[in-house]
Amino acid sequence: MKKRIVKRSLIILGLVGLIGVTIILYIMFAPHRDTQSSPVDFNLSAQELVRESLDDAAATNDKYLSEDGDSKIMAITGIVASIEKDFDDNQVVLLKAETDDAGVKCTFMKGTNKNAEALKIGEQTTIKGVYRVAASYDEDFEEYEDVIVEECDVLIKEN
Amino acid sequence: MNISTKFNTRKTILALAVLIGSMGVSFGQSESKIVSEKGHIEFLSKTSIEDISAHNSKIKSSLDMTSGAVIISVPMQSYKFENATMQKHYNSPKFLDTKQFPKSKFKGTITNLDAVDFSKDGSYKAEIKGELTLHGVTKPVTENATITVKGGNITLDSKMQITLADYKIAFEKGKPSKNIAKTIDVTTKIEFTK
Repeated sequence: MKKRIVKRSLIILGLVGLIGVTIILYIMFAPHRDTQSSPVDFNLSAQELVRESLDDAAATNDKYLSEDGDSKIMAITGIVASIEKDFDDNQVVLLKAETDDAGVKCTFMKGTNKNAEALKIGEQTTIKGVYRVAASYDEDFEEYEDVIVEECDVLIKEN
Repeated sequence: MNISTKFNTRKTILALAVLIGSMGVSFGQSESKIVSEKGHIEFLSKTSIEDISAHNSKIKSSLDMTSGAVIISVPMQSYKFENATMQKHYNSPKFLDTKQFPKSKFKGTITNLDAVDFSKDGSYKAEIKGELTLHGVTKPVTENATITVKGGNITLDSKMQITLADYKIAFEKGKPSKNIAKTIDVTTKIEFTK
């Protein structure tokens, strides 16, 4: 009888320990959030986001940034103004209305770059990505800085 | 004055106005200043326990070839770590508090501008002295840089060390105080096109 209790206790202890170790390992080696398979938090036009930013960059950052860096996921609709490569050879699509001072710079990834390459200057598109920082006028550069959105892919392409 | 001379005078005035206007624009923006969004920053923390590095390719920089002014703007949430948990810690209010301070900035000047010839291909050693604003704290810093001129391209490679405590980033207790170095190496590479 006593032996059985000891045996059962050991099994339970072992199981609890195993669960504990699994949880610790999961926290330590948890994967990065996958932006593209996560739901969209905000749906808006590039123009709306730029105007909100230039109106109050601090409030815009406060609204869309998360403390742990997994910030809001945006679906942004706008006109493709330029497509360029960054330092890592990822495609950067600028969504910007001609009349606006700044735009939204969307950086694509290894698996989605080809979808950016298929876009054409002047066409309207919707891009999904994670918000990084608001647009603002920079006194040192003497020019406007764009909104930065990363880990992007094309959501809807309108012809 | 007949009608045609009157018309010509008007045209001349208009042309002059356009010319003066365009001169104003070109004088307003320094022609020797080049802006680049092709750059990369790596920071590396080395301890006997582990090496931690993070990468950021979303920096915006400018270089004024006449005054030697260098500006680098860094979106803080664009730093990528291999480990997702570490990335979350880095962003959190306990560490860099990137929600509160989403951008950091370096503003400096090349102190030995005479030693750099932007019009001639070559590699030049440069010292850039300036101020770094990180985590809401501004401190003087000096970067040792190599400027490489090749054809129409200028590459700026720089290295500097920053002491985290100077920027009120302190880890007094627990694992981070042992696993994160007190002073970290910051390596920057920027590609400018003339």
